[in-house]
Amino acid sequence: MAKKMTIALYTGSFDKLTAAGVIINGAVADDMDVEIYVLLMGAHAFKKENAGKYENMAELVDHKEAFKASLSNLKIPTWMEFFKQAKEMGNVKIYICGLAGKVWNGLELGDFNDLADDICGIAEYIASTQTADVNLFI
Amino acid sequence: MNKDELKALSIDKVVDARGTACPGPLMATKKTIGEMKPGEIVEVLSSDPATKRDVPKWAEKKGFTYLGDILEDGYFRLYIKK
Repeated sequence: MAKKMTIALYTGSFDKLTAAGVIINGAVADDMDVEIYVLLMGAHAFKKENAGKYENMAELVDHKEAFKASLSNLKIPTWMEFFKQAKEMGNVKIYICGLAGKVWNGLELGDFNDLADDICGIAEYIASTQTADVNLFI
Repeated sequence: MNKDELKALSIDKVVDARGTACPGPLMATKKTIGEMKPGEIVEVLSSDPATKRDVPKWAEKKGFTYLGDILEDGYFRLYIKK
């Protein structure tokens, strides 16, 4: 049986989302199942209208332009590309927290980008962490 | 394996991941190995120094045989047997 990673993805910042993307790909390379529960600020990043233009940065905000330029020069995929690749290559499910969705006026799955698989509640996340081999909060 | 032995290997697949950064070479290698038969050998080209530690550790964890690497001018050649 495959090992499982659960992630509470709270961040709505593309620097942390990029890091999450790298970790998710590493887990998929190791044949782990990954379940991502998108919490408050994360749900904002997953709103359909924000796809491809998400540039809020959580840390080293004074270096945002240099960070963006470096990612581009190094041909690093965007966070959404990382997530898409992981979903294509492995068993990765992404659930939007119902409360978080409502906070950003996302009331149904169609309000979020195509990476999102469903809307769920906190009980599902808590239950899933109890059978996970790795649980991260990002 | 030493450099001469590695150079003499019969290669079944080549993954040219030069120009990509971690986890690019790893993901490209995983994708290609998934399409290979047991016993076949893949040559991975990577200009990311992290690959030299990362891919062998991954390969051994997944039950593949890491055969070694050759340093070229600005990149590595790594050899894995499925």
